Amino acid sequence: MSSSPGPLQMKLPSTAAAPAGLTSVLGLRRLAIMLMVAVPIAALISIDSETRFATWLARSIIVGTGALVGFGLAESRPRRLPRWLGRWVFQLLAMALAVPFAAYAAYWITVGGAPEFMANPKRFVGFGQLTIAGIFFGAWVALGAMIRQRDARAHALSLAFERERRELERQAVEARTQLLRSQIQPHFLFNTLANIQALVETGSPHAPQVLASLIAYLKAAVPQLDETVSTVGREVELARAYLELMRMRMPDRLRFALDIDPSVLACRCPPTTLLTLVENAVRHGIDPAEDGGAIDVAVKRSGGDVLIRVEDTGVGPGVSGAGTGTGLKALRERLTMAFGDAAALRLFERPPHGFIAEVQFPAETG
Amino acid sequence: MTHPPTVLIADDEPVLREALARLLAELWPELRVVAQARNGREAIAMFEEHRPDVCFLDVQMPGLSGVEAARAIGHRAHLVFVTAFEQYAVEAFARGALDYLVKPVERDRLRETVERLRERLRTVQPPPAATDELIRELAARLSAAPRDTRLRWLRAGSGQATRLIPVEEIDFLRADEKYTLVGWRGDGARPGEALVRTPLKELAGQLDPEQFVQVHRSVIVNLGSVSHVTRGLNETATIHLKGRPETLPVSRAYAHLFRQM
Repeated sequence: MSSSPGPLQMKLPSTAAAPAGLTSVLGLRRLAIMLMVAVPIAALISIDSETRFATWLARSIIVGTGALVGFGLAESRPRRLPRWLGRWVFQLLAMALAVPFAAYAAYWITVGGAPEFMANPKRFVGFGQLTIAGIFFGAWVALGAMIRQRDARAHALSLAFERERRELERQAVEARTQLLRSQIQPHFLFNTLANIQALVETGSPHAPQVLASLIAYLKAAVPQLDETVSTVGREVELARAYLELMRMRMPDRLRFALDIDPSVLACRCPPTTLLTLVENAVRHGIDPAEDGGAIDVAVKRSGGDVLIRVEDTGVGPGVSGAGTGTGLKALRERLTMAFGDAAALRLFERPPHGFIAEVQFPAETG
Repeated sequence: MTHPPTVLIADDEPVLREALARLLAELWPELRVVAQARNGREAIAMFEEHRPDVCFLDVQMPGLSGVEAARAIGHRAHLVFVTAFEQYAVEAFARGALDYLVKPVERDRLRETVERLRERLRTVQPPPAATDELIRELAARLSAAPRDTRLRWLRAGSGQATRLIPVEEIDFLRADEKYTLVGWRGDGARPGEALVRTPLKELAGQLDPEQFVQVHRSVIVNLGSVSHVTRGLNETATIHLKGRPETLPVSRAYAHLFRQM
């Protein structure tokens, strides 16, 4: 597939998690991990202590919970941080700040009132142990958790990219399918074949030339499925073949003229851009008009752009009803896919009656 | 039948008219082609002038179609419809037991048709009166199907040519005295604005109600262009649009539309 740089509008998951309630700040999984750390710490400290293991366990769990709350709250609050302060640093700081308070609270709860560290140096040592262990192990577990989270986010991101890529691919396939559908119109094909058969049967000298036009049209109009880029030159030949076929079919009603600047022929162009405009002019402009009309095709350079203009003197745009809508919409999508915002499709009503369509896109070759 | 049978051929494509005339001359030598019409209107006029026994009518013709011409001719002639491959038209003919040919016309198929017509003319069978009813139904079906009364584009004055704004590219419409201000996706999907001479009230009824919603006495918005809605005082709200700075007011009467959002 040849490259067609288009605007990639990625829908990425927002990097700051939404503010969460206390249940999700704590979370079952986090609580479990905290317990797995808190129990051995309590066991270690209690080995060399007069205080019972159960008390140490309670203190350890209270400190762990405090660390967890500090870590969890800093995860999404405040919503915005100064640029120089990374969210992960802020979370670690919040946790480290929460631990001494939690340790103090743990003592308050387990001794039933103010721990009075001045009077009880052993308690103060215990408080110190608890705080240091809390900060150290808390930071260790928290870093591990953040690495896992980052991996998960990267995974989600790559999934989002993948989804986006699939969506773009789907759009491309759809656009090509639409091409197929829009071109092989049985009505057009059988009517044209009926004409050719009649010309052949009467031995008309025009028959070979008309057949050549049909072959040229079919060759270009049956899309090679892997081809997403055509050239202006190819588009002009396709439009010419189509117009010649239609003039053979309605010689008294269709006149046309092509005014082509040869310097833009090599520029790349989404397939069937010009054909869509010319087909619209015939089908919705000339064909419904009893007296027909003229189609003027101009392809020229306008600054750094290619400007394609198709003007017809047919019945003009109806105010309502289906018809040209789908073809033009698909064309607009193809243009956006190929050129992004740099391409334009403009439609005008032509006084006194008729329709003008203009397509403009950057002149790029190769 | 004393006079030689006569036929009218109506087709907007001259090569096909001639081809059918030639084939008929070969398969039905005594048949006389009295008229060749290029559209439905001519077909009716020529029928009234020449009163042929048989009419071959192309279904797709500019102006009045073959089916519409058939409605005017009715059972005053034996009718044969000619159509290029078109599933639903062919089905309608087959179901209605109307005579029809599919392009490119096959010689054998035309021979059968010619034999049937000859038989009817020889036994002086008038064309069945029931045909009128069938054609009326057919015309209703063929013309009703593709017609859509919804607005397809707005006309905005710009220089000597009138710019056409496809409805699906409109972001919002805002009443501006007698005119309507249109916010839409102009060149290369850039936000643009245009003034349209039709008042908002008139446009409101012609837009797809699934897509366009009135949110204020003077504002209609394309739901696909809404980025988000913020709640205001007094049960009002403000609509923010995708990729453009303008905001639109939602008045109390319409605020319920966004309560779920």
